[in-house]
Amino acid sequence: MKFFRHLAAVVLVVAVIVGLGMLWAHASGGGTGIGSGPRRAPSREALLRLEQIKAGAIRVRSDNGFDLADTGNLIRTCEIEAVLAAVVIAVSVVRRRRRRMRRTTTRDGATATKPLVL
Amino acid sequence: MDAGPTTPLADSPVTASRRRILARTRLDFWLDALLLVAYTLAYSLGFTGIATHEWLGIGLGVVLLVHLTLHWDWVIRTTRKLFSPGGSGRFVWLINLLLLLSITLCIASGILISEVALPQLGITPPASSFWRQMHDTTATLTLILVPIHAALDWRWIVGVARRFAAWRPGRSR
Repeated sequence: MKFFRHLAAVVLVVAVIVGLGMLWAHASGGGTGIGSGPRRAPSREALLRLEQIKAGAIRVRSDNGFDLADTGNLIRTCEIEAVLAAVVIAVSVVRRRRRRMRRTTTRDGATATKPLVL
Repeated sequence: MDAGPTTPLADSPVTASRRRILARTRLDFWLDALLLVAYTLAYSLGFTGIATHEWLGIGLGVVLLVHLTLHWDWVIRTTRKLFSPGGSGRFVWLINLLLLLSITLCIASGILISEVALPQLGITPPASSFWRQMHDTTATLTLILVPIHAALDWRWIVGVARRFAAWRPGRSR
C-alpha cells in the first residue's frame, strides 16, 4: 500500500515536470503540435537534418540490433562516466581525509591543553 | 523457498527484519546497476541504433519511476532536513533534483520526437525542433549528472558489493 502511495506521489511530480516543460514549449512557440491547430511548416533545423540524412552525412539505422562496429560510441560514454565518477570519488576521499585529520588535531590539541587532574 | 535450517533465531523478529533489509538492499543494488547499464547503452545511440535507443529510453522511464518510488522516503526525509537549522546533504539533494528534472525532460522529449517506437504503436508524434533541442541538451546534462549521482554513493556501492562478494549460499549474513 505504501509503495503505491509513493508511486502516486512520484507520478504526480513527474507529471508536473512534464507539464512545466509543455508550458515552456508552448511559451517559446515550440509546442507539441498535438491538437486541431494549423500545422506549422517544418523548421530550418528539421529541413537541414533531412538534407543531411539524404546526403548520408547523418547515419540513421532503424534496425533493432546493436552495431558492434560502433563500440567506440559506447566506450566514449563509459569513459566520460568513469572520469566524472572518479573525480567525485577523489574529492570525497580527500574531503573525508581532511575532516578526519582536523578532528584528530582538535582532539590532540584538547588533550594537550587539558589540565592534568590527579 | 527454502530458508535454510530452522533455528530458534531464524524466527525472531530481529532476524526477519534483518532479512527484509538485506532483500531491500539487494533489490536497490541490482536495480541501480540495471539502470546505469541501461542508461549507458541508451546514451550510446551510434551503438544501439535508433529503435533500441527509443525502446530502452521508454523502459528506463518506467524503471526510473520504480527507483524513485523506492527512495521516496529519502526524498521526504532529506527535503525536511534542508529546512532545519544546520541541515546537511544540500549538495546531494540539489544534484538529485537536477537529475530528476533533466532525465524526466529527456525521456519526455525523446517520446515526443520518437521516430520508431511510437510509430510502431501507431502514434505519429509531430516533429518539433524545440523538443529535439531539449532532448539533446537534457541528454548532455544527464551524462554529467548520472555518474555524479552514482559516485556520491560509492561507499554504499563498495560496501554492498563486498558483502555480495563474500556471500555464500546457505550462509546467513
